[in-house]
Amino acid sequence: MLLHLLVLAPFVAAILMVATSKEDPKSSSRLAFLFAIAFFGMSIALIAGGNQSTEAIEWFRIPGAKGPVYYYLYSHGLGAWMVLLSTGLSLVALITARNTTCKNYRNFAIGIFALMGAMNGTFLAADAVLFFFFFEAMVIPAAVLIAGFGGKDRAKAAMTFAIYTLVGSAPMMVALWYLISQADSGVLLSLVIALQNMPEGVQTAILVCFLLAFMVKTPIFPFHGWQAISYSEAPAPLSAILTGAMSKAGVFGFIAWIIPIFPVNVSVYNTLMWLGLLTALYGALMALRATDAKKLLAFSSMGHLGLAVAGVFSLSEAMLPAVLVLLVAHGISAGAQFLLMGIGERMTGTRELDKLGGLARVTPVFGSLFGFVAILALAIPGTAGFVGEFTVLLSLWDMGPLPALVAGLCIILSAAYMLRFVQKVIFGEQKCEVTGTRMTALEGSSIGIMGVLLLVFGMHPAFITNALHLFDDQAIEAMAKLTNALPATADEVDENGAAPSSIPGVDAEADENVADDNVADVAVPMTEEDFRQLDSNLAANGFSEEERANLIAQLKAMEAEDSAEAAAPAAAEEGGNK
Amino acid sequence: MTNLPLWFIPLFPLIGCIVLGAIALISSGSKKGPSEGFVGALSVLFPALAFASVVLLSFNMPEGGIRATLCNWIDIPMFKVDIGFLFDALSRIMLLFVTGIGTLIAIYSIGYMHGDRGFARFFAYINLFLFSMIVLVLSDSLLLTFLGWEGVGLCSYLLIGFWNHDINNCKAANKAFIVNRVGDIGFLLGMLILCVVGGSTILNYDALTSFISSIAAGGYAEGADVVKAFFNALFTGTFTPDIVVPILSIAGLCFFIGCTGKSAQIPLLTWLPDAMAGPTPVSALIHAATMVTSGVYLLARLSTMFVQIPVILDVITWVGLLTAFWAAVAGLFQNDIKKVLAYSTVSQLGYMFMAAGVAAFDSSIFHVFTHAFFKAALFLGAGAVIHSLAGEQDMRKMGGLLKKTPVTACVMIFAFLAIVGFPGFAGFWSKDLILERLYMSGPMGPFFYVGGLLTAVITAVYMGRLIVLTFFGSYRGSKESEAHIHEAPATMLIPMVVLAFGAVFAGWLWADSMGIKYFEEMLAPVVGAAQAVLPHNAAHVNPMVFAGLGTLAALFGMGIAWAKWGKARIPAAKGSSAPQGKMATWTFFWDYVHGVVVTVVDAIAWFVDNFVDKIVQFAQWLVASIAEILGDGVASFQVRKVRLQIALSLAGVVALVIVVLLTGGLI
Repeated sequence: MLLHLLVLAPFVAAILMVATSKEDPKSSSRLAFLFAIAFFGMSIALIAGGNQSTEAIEWFRIPGAKGPVYYYLYSHGLGAWMVLLSTGLSLVALITARNTTCKNYRNFAIGIFALMGAMNGTFLAADAVLFFFFFEAMVIPAAVLIAGFGGKDRAKAAMTFAIYTLVGSAPMMVALWYLISQADSGVLLSLVIALQNMPEGVQTAILVCFLLAFMVKTPIFPFHGWQAISYSEAPAPLSAILTGAMSKAGVFGFIAWIIPIFPVNVSVYNTLMWLGLLTALYGALMALRATDAKKLLAFSSMGHLGLAVAGVFSLSEAMLPAVLVLLVAHGISAGAQFLLMGIGERMTGTRELDKLGGLARVTPVFGSLFGFVAILALAIPGTAGFVGEFTVLLSLWDMGPLPALVAGLCIILSAAYMLRFVQKVIFGEQKCEVTGTRMTALEGSSIGIMGVLLLVFGMHPAFITNALHLFDDQAIEAMAKLTNALPATADEVDENGAAPSSIPGVDAEADENVADDNVADVAVPMTEEDFRQLDSNLAANGFSEEERANLIAQLKAMEAEDSAEAAAPAAAEEGGNK
Repeated sequence: MTNLPLWFIPLFPLIGCIVLGAIALISSGSKKGPSEGFVGALSVLFPALAFASVVLLSFNMPEGGIRATLCNWIDIPMFKVDIGFLFDALSRIMLLFVTGIGTLIAIYSIGYMHGDRGFARFFAYINLFLFSMIVLVLSDSLLLTFLGWEGVGLCSYLLIGFWNHDINNCKAANKAFIVNRVGDIGFLLGMLILCVVGGSTILNYDALTSFISSIAAGGYAEGADVVKAFFNALFTGTFTPDIVVPILSIAGLCFFIGCTGKSAQIPLLTWLPDAMAGPTPVSALIHAATMVTSGVYLLARLSTMFVQIPVILDVITWVGLLTAFWAAVAGLFQNDIKKVLAYSTVSQLGYMFMAAGVAAFDSSIFHVFTHAFFKAALFLGAGAVIHSLAGEQDMRKMGGLLKKTPVTACVMIFAFLAIVGFPGFAGFWSKDLILERLYMSGPMGPFFYVGGLLTAVITAVYMGRLIVLTFFGSYRGSKESEAHIHEAPATMLIPMVVLAFGAVFAGWLWADSMGIKYFEEMLAPVVGAAQAVLPHNAAHVNPMVFAGLGTLAALFGMGIAWAKWGKARIPAAKGSSAPQGKMATWTFFWDYVHGVVVTVVDAIAWFVDNFVDKIVQFAQWLVASIAEILGDGVASFQVRKVRLQIALSLAGVVALVIVVLLTGGLI
């Protein structure tokens, strides 16, 4: 129920927001806050509730696919925390937007809720097609919001953003279509099995298509062209959501879809790790040069996410919790920084670093908060950022000293650009008049709470790391049910077929199933080696010993059934059916 | 009161920081600011409470120390670390002077910061600093020490840039933080290497000690499996000390890089002179007495590891020697009173590192202890001088202050005698001890000894110059400013006098040539075993010879200073207090080196921004343009030609039918 609410209710909320006044931000913001708080509460309940899933509902069938597309939601620690980021940041964004985008606050809120629903769907979907649906759906409200509420260059920014990200995931769409035409359904387990049976070349091709989509979304160098302009032109509250939650969809895709379903491909993964490090370095260097405050933050985000991706593809045992902590920390701190910068821009009317300065004197509370959040973003020990960066460094060290050294260099550079940023914005001589609305108490305290949360997670990361069990037994069972659905019915039909039966419907069904069986027969049976590969694959992904053993045993049982069927005289079977 | 929990000690300054921070934040809107008396009382209360609890615990400490594990911190696969505290002889002595001097300097600051708009904010930072420093020395694992390590760096950044409306202060603060960050990455990598060698458990000091001793003993009971797996995978070799010791050496080097950052040694020393931009009490507390010595503390804490890797110890000795000498020479050319003291601090830290390098960890900690008193006294004295001259820091505009500010002058002269090593004063005992240990250290010993002795002479020269220029001769400032010279208020004088007492008498805790070895015995449980590992030169030299030579060096240097500056007419100063002519670039040689590194990074960033990024943008533009051209081409089909349209439609339908047939029908 909670899962359905989190995914569907934001869309309902967006529709309900239409009923509120367009002119009066006060009344519409009240309703928006109410909704946002409710969603935030739900996402906390989601984390507290542990892993859970909904019943798989058959949604529609895609031409050429073997199985139906399920509306099937599943929440594990990773997804739940990402949902928390999306709802939490949306809440604070709605709070700060009240004073920033006074005009037509209602429409802004509608867009934010639609975006939130799409993001939640992305993070909770258990069916690959459903995931892809939401993954693409995110782009639309975000692009519309940029176009409607952005800065001077908003039209160009929205266009770049939408086209770049949509084109980036087009190959994934094709690859996914091909994949589900081979697999029983879009759930993870059937994809794993389908991929195991493919030749290596095809596997790699599909892998690259998938990677491309996630690399664009994260973004990873050299696919970052859309990022700086979108983040800087988007209204600051939206930028906060984009960097804090939406960009995580890319990393989430790497962790929750790529690594579990594809067999380990060392050369590709190594390349990705280095690309991640390159991104981190590139982001840091670009941030050093940036003259636009929001561009600086955009590149800083890019750097941090590059580090996270590098951590993901180090595939060490500590990878998953490390990256999760890093993602949560980055989501909160980068989000808070964008929100603060938005307030700064509102007060001074500029985001040029050279025109800002001395804000600590004029607006001491804003200055303190700004400095506080910037320091938290530096990953000082005791903050969540440190736990994330240190453990990611530890994972990288697993791959050798060089990656860790590069990451270390990035950490030094991040201090350099962040301190420069702080100095330019709040210290020194005052260069600009403060004319706009100052930071309100509500804004200040909500951003302050984000800062305190970073400290809490920094001293007690168990809040985050304990929630982590990507796939527990129940989920695997549920998925196995969906995967086995067709072979299981086939078995029943076979039994029926052996007995003299005269029901025409059964015959028709049996015909289909025979076709399926033939496909299965053509596929190469899994060898011990494949199992071992799968096992290491799953191990890298946080499956416990027990879970892995279970899964493998199930697969083996299935294999055995298949081979038993193959051994039975196929001709007799076909004859019986006719 | 034996069961006073250890976490009480850091708790008090933490509460202080939060309370004062809240006061500063709430009152930031008002014109007048909070009551200084109230804020001042609070800001002294919490450090004093911490000091009191340290004293209480010190009296009741059992021989082996007190250990307390609070809770779990990080718990993920491959990495488990607890938050725990370790109160033993080493952390006791560090804590005693950290909290003690911290309290004194808090009292002093009430007078010094009087009337400053950021009064409450200043004390919030000071309390945060004390919290971090206490965590640094009290923690029982490297990771928690690292929390304090970066925490003190952060406070240093905040306090150097305290007067942040001046952009130069901000730049100095940024420099301090970034240079320290470089060192901190060394610390971080050191921890990673240790984790790889022995698992995350050996980040705990006790576990590390036993791990090292098991390696030294040749048995690899602990962590052997992890190591084996790792090295088999890496080198496909077997596990022998031949591999572990080089790896540990690299770890040791990384930790030492961390120390050079925090303790301002070559090559990361440039930030400390710039750090003098902060308020003077900060210079006294952070950049002289406590924070900068944490590198020495870390070496002593990891002594069991360092004695197993003599190569790194040699590196440490050489770096210490070079730094001590270099900074002393640089100190000769400074005109800013605080800069002289800053270079003197760097130089004294060099002594401590030299001592640590020859595995004389107890004498290096002893020098940390005595140095804390006399250097804090010198800085506070300098602060009082600056205060009385309304902010003047150029020594060429001072002079003859002995009569005008007698108490300050006495305090500074006592501290001066201590730092140059005048017999009986604190610095005499500790420096003498270090020189003696250097001499005894091995074949290179006499060379190190001569280097140290030469540095001692230079120390006496530049410190003599400081005292002469400031307190003797006649006043060289403007006439109208002379009338305003006044002695500092009592809140500033009392801490100075207390510290001066320390500068005179602290050395008697270990008066080696007099046979008093209280300090050595106290530290023996922590560093004694490690120090016994390395062989010492057994050649016995009468300690009185060392004492005599040390005294001669001090007297000789003071003599030079008096001869050169005692009677000389100092030209009236103009412009900045920076050294003039070639001395500026020459003295700041390491600044030049850092400048090169920064330029290279900037150049790479420029290249990335103007070249790589442009290529990426060009590629994007190219793809978009091709798409557009193709679109234009295809658009030509959209013309009003009925036959063509129908033909195209038919072709489309046929294509669809073929696709449907080939893929096996709809669904």
